[in-house]
Amino acid sequence: MDLLKKIFIALGSMDRRFIFLLVGLSVLLPKLYPDLFTLPIKASSHSQRVFDEIDALKEDSKVLVSFEYGPSTKPEIHPSAIALLNHLFSKNIKVYAVALWPDGNFMATEAFSQVADGYGKKYGVDYVNLGYKPGGEAVVKGLASDIRTMYTVDLLGNDIDSIEMMKDVKNLLDLDFIFSLSAGYPGSKEWVQFACDPLGIPMSTGCTSIQVTDIIPYVENDQIKGILSGMPGAAEYEQLVQDALNERGIVVSPGKASINMAAQSMAHVVIVLLIILGNITYYLTRKSGKKGGM
Amino acid sequence: MFLKRQMPAIIAIGVGLFILFGHFINNPNVQGFVNNDATQWFDIIASFAIFLGALNMLKLQVLKVVKKQRNWQYSILAIFGFAFAIFAGFFFRGANYITLTDIHPQNVNKLVEYISTVQEVDDPVLMVKGIQGSLASYEIPKIFISRSSAEAFSVTISGIAKDVTLGVKPWGAHVQIKGSLFSWMFFKIFTPLSSTMFALLAFFVASASYRAFRIRNFEATLLLVAGIILMIGRVPVGELVPWWLVSTLMVFGIGALIAPLIPDKKLLFGIIIGGIVLTSGLGILLDWNLAVNMPAILSLPNISEWIFDYPTAAGSRAIMIGIALGIIATSFRIILGIERPF
Repeated sequence: MDLLKKIFIALGSMDRRFIFLLVGLSVLLPKLYPDLFTLPIKASSHSQRVFDEIDALKEDSKVLVSFEYGPSTKPEIHPSAIALLNHLFSKNIKVYAVALWPDGNFMATEAFSQVADGYGKKYGVDYVNLGYKPGGEAVVKGLASDIRTMYTVDLLGNDIDSIEMMKDVKNLLDLDFIFSLSAGYPGSKEWVQFACDPLGIPMSTGCTSIQVTDIIPYVENDQIKGILSGMPGAAEYEQLVQDALNERGIVVSPGKASINMAAQSMAHVVIVLLIILGNITYYLTRKSGKKGGM
Repeated sequence: MFLKRQMPAIIAIGVGLFILFGHFINNPNVQGFVNNDATQWFDIIASFAIFLGALNMLKLQVLKVVKKQRNWQYSILAIFGFAFAIFAGFFFRGANYITLTDIHPQNVNKLVEYISTVQEVDDPVLMVKGIQGSLASYEIPKIFISRSSAEAFSVTISGIAKDVTLGVKPWGAHVQIKGSLFSWMFFKIFTPLSSTMFALLAFFVASASYRAFRIRNFEATLLLVAGIILMIGRVPVGELVPWWLVSTLMVFGIGALIAPLIPDKKLLFGIIIGGIVLTSGLGILLDWNLAVNMPAILSLPNISEWIFDYPTAAGSRAIMIGIALGIIATSFRIILGIERPF
């Protein structure tokens, strides 16, 4: 028993570089050997809600997708963007992209370049990228009032009046749905507060895991129709979209979030085990400390 | 003095009151100002703020180098990065492209082969289809940073089409086009650096959790248990946690809660063991191994979803209401001139 205690106490003073190694391996191994770490992905009610809302949109509906994330949060949100564009383009829905973050421009451009060609979608006819505007909530409020006061040209410098799909769009009221891909401020909250709630436009969001606590009250109030929470939410939505498209005869390969979920799962398990180990050591050292004190 | 003190206060109070009351005045001009003009003012000021912020950053870094303050060497890198971004954004487009007109249909496959030498082609069949649909005018999906490299490639493919023309993407658009110098800087320098910084968090979180996440009191225990449930319940591995493990942990949890009320340790031990036997027996009898039979409370993903939907939502609402009240109070203080952050 004493030996066991000593082992736990010795583990408790584990060098942090060893912890880094464990976390590194827990991420690396599932990436190197994905077949050994295949895990089932089951959609949560929130992800299912997002899927149902988008799936209920009719052909030629107009959806605004706002890109509010950058490279640091790309692994969490970009898979949602790709799955969303797959879902929208497969239903022949027109996509209007804006960015409230400067990095969002690049994310949007990359997402469109990854998906649009596969569905034969043409820029300006099936999708448009209006680009980034500084101002956060003021931009959202401006778009709600009149898009042309905010944007006179698109990301490529084309006059927006010369873009076919912009012709019958004056403000956000002319759109059927808004999807915010958000990693912070300005993001989903600003869309709810300054556009979707006042104008009654349905919206959903895909955000980082850390943001979920901030956004969940809006989801519970039905001001946001479902939420894709971080990479797990993205993986669930990817799975739902993949299944739906396969049923419609469109072949879509598994998304990046689904592939990365095994790595995230293993990392979480390792961290939980470390926390439990740390607490056992804490309990033992506290107990022996008390005894020593007596 | 008037321009420095009273004037900003008058502008802030005047505009603040006007916008606040503007929401209650049903006049198209007032509404137009509140909804359009004021937001555009904000945009213009925000754009200038970016400009001022950049200049301020440059000034600080230059001063650091000049005064040789601590770690001044890193500031040289910051200034170089700034200068490079300005160069790629304002002075050098680096976004040359090639357009082919009247492509000979029999040369389409050859063209795809040529393109694959300068650009990774994910789906050659799709590209062939794309070119066949635009034989009259086709823009090669490759941006050349230097004009000389674009010219060299245009010479290589000169026999493919009737006419080969070189162009440069317009100013402004060049920043966003994949393959341009600015885009190269974003994807090849900024993206890996930014991702690395964020990825390091995982290691520090693991190390910090191991050292600091301790069961010191009831609140800490609650936080720890909720944290563990969320960490496991939100990832697919949570689906693999069996019902009997969850029910056993629940019995232990209940045991820990009632422990202070039961001084007799043998009785407490008996209750816990009895609880485990009872739940396990029930599970076997009612066949909880089948997902349809299992009570939702014994699924970690369901518990984590419940934590998000109820305790988390309630806590977040309370914080949001507090913040909203704080914003109202601060706004009133600014509008009334009591507080002057400007």
